[in-house]
Amino acid sequence: MHHSVELIDVHIRLGNVDVLSGINILATPYEFISVVGANGAGKTTLLRITNGTLRPDQGKVKVLGFDLSESNQTHSVRKEIGLVPQRAISHRFPICVEEAVLMGRYGKIGLMHRPKKDDRDKAQEAMKGVGIARFSKKLVHELSGGEQQKVALARALAQEPSVLLLDEPTTYLDGESSSEIMETIHSIHHQRGLTTLLVSHDPRWVDQYSDRIYSLKDGKSQVTR
Amino acid sequence: MGWVESLSLPFMQHAIIAILFAGIAFPMIGVFITSLNLVPLRFAMMHIALLGGAIGLFLKIDPLLMGLLFCSASSLALGPVSEKMKMGLGTLSGYLMTLTLALAFILFYKGNIHVIQAFDILWGNILSLTRGDLLLVVGVSLFILSVVALFFKEIQAILYDRDVALAVGLPAKGFYYLIVFILGLSIAVSMRMIGALLVDAFILLPAIAATLISRSLKQVFLFSSLFGLISGLFGLYLSFLLDLPTSSAIILVASAIIGFCILVERRAWFRANVTSR
Repeated sequence: MHHSVELIDVHIRLGNVDVLSGINILATPYEFISVVGANGAGKTTLLRITNGTLRPDQGKVKVLGFDLSESNQTHSVRKEIGLVPQRAISHRFPICVEEAVLMGRYGKIGLMHRPKKDDRDKAQEAMKGVGIARFSKKLVHELSGGEQQKVALARALAQEPSVLLLDEPTTYLDGESSSEIMETIHSIHHQRGLTTLLVSHDPRWVDQYSDRIYSLKDGKSQVTR
Repeated sequence: MGWVESLSLPFMQHAIIAILFAGIAFPMIGVFITSLNLVPLRFAMMHIALLGGAIGLFLKIDPLLMGLLFCSASSLALGPVSEKMKMGLGTLSGYLMTLTLALAFILFYKGNIHVIQAFDILWGNILSLTRGDLLLVVGVSLFILSVVALFFKEIQAILYDRDVALAVGLPAKGFYYLIVFILGLSIAVSMRMIGALLVDAFILLPAIAATLISRSLKQVFLFSSLFGLISGLFGLYLSFLLDLPTSSAIILVASAIIGFCILVERRAWFRANVTSR
């Protein structure tokens, strides 16, 4: 079967710690996969390996058929992988929401080219999709943590990815906003036909939205549903 | 001799041309330093230049040229080396800062070199620029301006968040190395112009001032260039008028601009948060 994401026997040691030691995760196109694990279980490392910004010491990582564990030139496939990082809180940097979301298009625009109307329209559409269009001219660092998280999600969607990686997307949100953003993510996942990989320590959303759930413990993965 | 007559002197013309180019281009490097927190690297470059100068004096080669060569070579190597060693650029800079200083002092001692000779590299003088120096300043300035103009969006993404730049598919690592290289090159050239100890006048202070009052990266670059130009030209004029060391006069003007920008920022904050209630 063709998989969008394939992690086979992935090992990585960071410093003196074996963070991941035998990870096997498969996601077919349009699947919503969740990985649950306690804080420090290696969930963020797992996503960094999946989007090609970290290379495993051992094992195979294939995304959209591209072998990320073999190549140093991973930026071409990264354009197809949207990432919503956990640390979405912005330092004091002079950038408005609209520009921060437009950044999701930068990889696809190509070096030395400027964003065109089509790119701006896609950024606008992504902002509307997550409900932040009314903040578009505000500076990102002036927004609340939850709003900044939505900016990160809109940026990932503006990228028009085939695979969406979500690192604890509800960390900075209250109960109501968490439910709202998870509902948004779920409907975008279906509308756009994405393969979504969510990592979280919070099982509430995972049970509700996932097609398959993996648990991460002691550096190893296990299918739990 | 009056200010206007002094402008016909070749050394004054060299100084003004250097300020016109460096004043516009070099503050952009300050924007890189403040956004990427590269202050330790800027200090390391000063010490690396001192080691280059010491080797030059030891081997009887132009110490300024050796300082420049050492800075350029180190800034090319530092990014990849820190990556390979899995050591942060800040930590590596701290290590190099002390190591290069120790090596420089060993050379002074063993080569019987008068320390003040080597420390000449730390002072610099914008009024003693040769034609070759001027060409170097203009060349490096044009290089910086071209890189910022051509790769504005890539630079914006990296300064905002390197992880985001990587995630959206930009070759962020290569651009980061390029930024580190330009930083080393500009520091080496500014040292020749105004001395390593006062490099901040052109590089850091205008960028700090611009960051205080800007609402976009484009504004930061534009304001920092404007402030660099004003502090350079007005500083040169003040040094002539009040008989002050030129570099110090430039720093005084740049510092006054920062003070002004702090007032502007406070006023804007007060309006937004107090009077609007």
